[in-house]
Amino acid sequence: MSATIPREHEPTEVVDVATSAVATGVARHEPVLEIEGFSVDYGAGASMVRAVDEVTLRLDRSRVLGIAGESGSGKSTLVYAMTRLLRAPGLISGGRVLLHTTDDDGVVTPVNLVEASESELRKVRWSHVSIVLQSALSALNPVLRIGREFDEVLKTHRKDMTKAQRRARAVELLRLVGLTEDRLDRYPHELSGGQRQRVMIAVALALDPELVIMDEPTTALDVVTQREIISELATLRARFGFAMIFITHDLSLLVELADEIAVMYAGSIVERAGARELYEAPRHPYTLGLLHSFPPLHGERRELTGIPGSPPDLADPPAGCRFAPRCTFAMARCLTERPTLREFGDEGRSVACWLFDPASASRVPVELSLAPSARQTVGEP
Amino acid sequence: MTDVELDTGAVQLRASHLSRDFTTRVPGRFVRAKRVTHAVEDVSLELVAGRVLAVVGESGSGKSVLARMLARIVTPTSGELELRGTPIAPKAKRDLAYAAMVQLVLQDPFASINPVHRIRHSLERPLLIHGADRARVGELARSVLERVSLDPSDRFLDRYPHELSGGQLQRVSIARALCVKPQVLLADEPISMLDVSVRLGILNLLKGLCDDENLAVLYITHDIASARYLADETIVMYAGQVVERSVGTALVDEPTHPYTQLLIASVPDPSDPTSIAPRAATAGPMDSSVTGCRFAPRCPHASARCLAESPPVFEIGPGHHSRCWLHEGNRVATPVLTTRRGKGGPTTT
Repeated sequence: MSATIPREHEPTEVVDVATSAVATGVARHEPVLEIEGFSVDYGAGASMVRAVDEVTLRLDRSRVLGIAGESGSGKSTLVYAMTRLLRAPGLISGGRVLLHTTDDDGVVTPVNLVEASESELRKVRWSHVSIVLQSALSALNPVLRIGREFDEVLKTHRKDMTKAQRRARAVELLRLVGLTEDRLDRYPHELSGGQRQRVMIAVALALDPELVIMDEPTTALDVVTQREIISELATLRARFGFAMIFITHDLSLLVELADEIAVMYAGSIVERAGARELYEAPRHPYTLGLLHSFPPLHGERRELTGIPGSPPDLADPPAGCRFAPRCTFAMARCLTERPTLREFGDEGRSVACWLFDPASASRVPVELSLAPSARQTVGEP
Repeated sequence: MTDVELDTGAVQLRASHLSRDFTTRVPGRFVRAKRVTHAVEDVSLELVAGRVLAVVGESGSGKSVLARMLARIVTPTSGELELRGTPIAPKAKRDLAYAAMVQLVLQDPFASINPVHRIRHSLERPLLIHGADRARVGELARSVLERVSLDPSDRFLDRYPHELSGGQLQRVSIARALCVKPQVLLADEPISMLDVSVRLGILNLLKGLCDDENLAVLYITHDIASARYLADETIVMYAGQVVERSVGTALVDEPTHPYTQLLIASVPDPSDPTSIAPRAATAGPMDSSVTGCRFAPRCPHASARCLAESPPVFEIGPGHHSRCWLHEGNRVATPVLTTRRGKGGPTTT
């Protein structure tokens, strides 16, 4: 789970030939998505705001990457830009997004989404990568019956399917997410919020994609409905083996759901680690603060502090570390120099914080130096 | 707080058997049928000075209608309100005196503060309406901003709402409610729209107002963990009814109603990675056609009786009540069901 990209997957240009000789379904460590130095700006010139700043991420097949962050941290902009759904004034200002698409014969072709043309994107979207948005009410067309949503996806991408086959596939997909066939003839307003989100998930799975992106799919839902959908997602993932990027502000949800978590703050990733390690032994002060921001359901009631202050204005970000004004461990250096995300220790995790800089003689505070009590080894040899 | 004596433990606002029905017309081919939705049914509660009462429920459970009835924005279908021992005439219009005592803080600060006016305007206007001396309103507005920890207050007074973050705006919203020196603060989901990192700040502010200024606070939420953090008493609502209530944290630590148990089991819990997913159907109807327990269609323990007869409220333990047939006969807390969480499990921090 390192930030660096392995040699064999480092194409100097996008090639058509398979770069991987490994048969499908064997290698877990094959990447499905590699993001490198990816930046997104809003506007240009003096009023430019950098919403995503040099993000580097890697996601292996059949794994779940959680991205946690507050509003304005750039997490949604990241996935919109990555899938080239971002509209002006949003602008990709640098970096590379490689999606390793596998065709029916198991041939892996990396596609750089940043440079892909519209027709290339059309081939990739929905067949290889699909996205579920936060508000299913606005994502579903209110004047079309649910069945049409399925029909259009299948009609566009599977031209050989007959009408009856498309209908049969739609019914099959609805069953997968626990809905009955009669929902196909309903309009979105006739469904509850949870049912609409289930429809969105079913549509996203219509073409059996390798990567499904979930942008806060459960934020607008009740906690009970959220739990149902999360457990359904886990079942579906076990069955179909797609990789998933799950975006949420709820770190405690990610700890349960994700294999790996990236924490975003003010446009950049401040910490990346395995889910259990991150929860048991946070390294970045912001992660620690977030974990302390959820009142526990059990144990003694005691005062929690959360994180003082509020997130920075990206139009005028603080010099140095962007978290420094809110950080209880901030040093003089933090206010002037900006730390970069760097590998840390032998745990395969990285953190962007001067406290962990080997060159500085700072002592790591005890709260941030805990050892993970039970290291999870899923996906590790 | 010089004009009102501090009176710890006094009941500031008492609601008895509050109900609110909404009538909707169901279009039919020949006749238009009427359907009555019981949004809130027979809810009684007391808001006590210096204490926080939390109301927990999912969307559509009637918790916001309840808050609006307490603020007298929505007129109850039946039931009585009593403000500091004085009954409120049921059909009387909401007057300034009532508004000065009971203030409501809404969920979305971006929508509840006028975006075209400076913060100063939002704070001074209630003061002027409530007859404050025009020469003193600036000073009062500054002091109230300091009470919600917006320092330096001068910097915030001349800003526009869009210049503040969500957490700061919610503090302004609370400050605006505090301007008129209320005794009761009704907070309707005050943190659900806010960023995770600033939520605790608002919760701690509410707790501080309650402890230091002896306010009676009603805290409405869908997040049962935050209710446990803040509340002295907790009520769980389902489909307009109170299904469980308890003093202290008993309700969260030892939930007795199947709905409360489902609610708690659904909360993401990082300390327990092997969580079991509860299966539940969607919420049942809330109209007059329902005869039995409203939770019965989703309940794993529902019997024939649950579908036929609406359960009364049983006392489980001291200050702990549950509306469920499982607890018939005032049996004291035999945990009929075990949640996936043991009592006093490991803390998450």
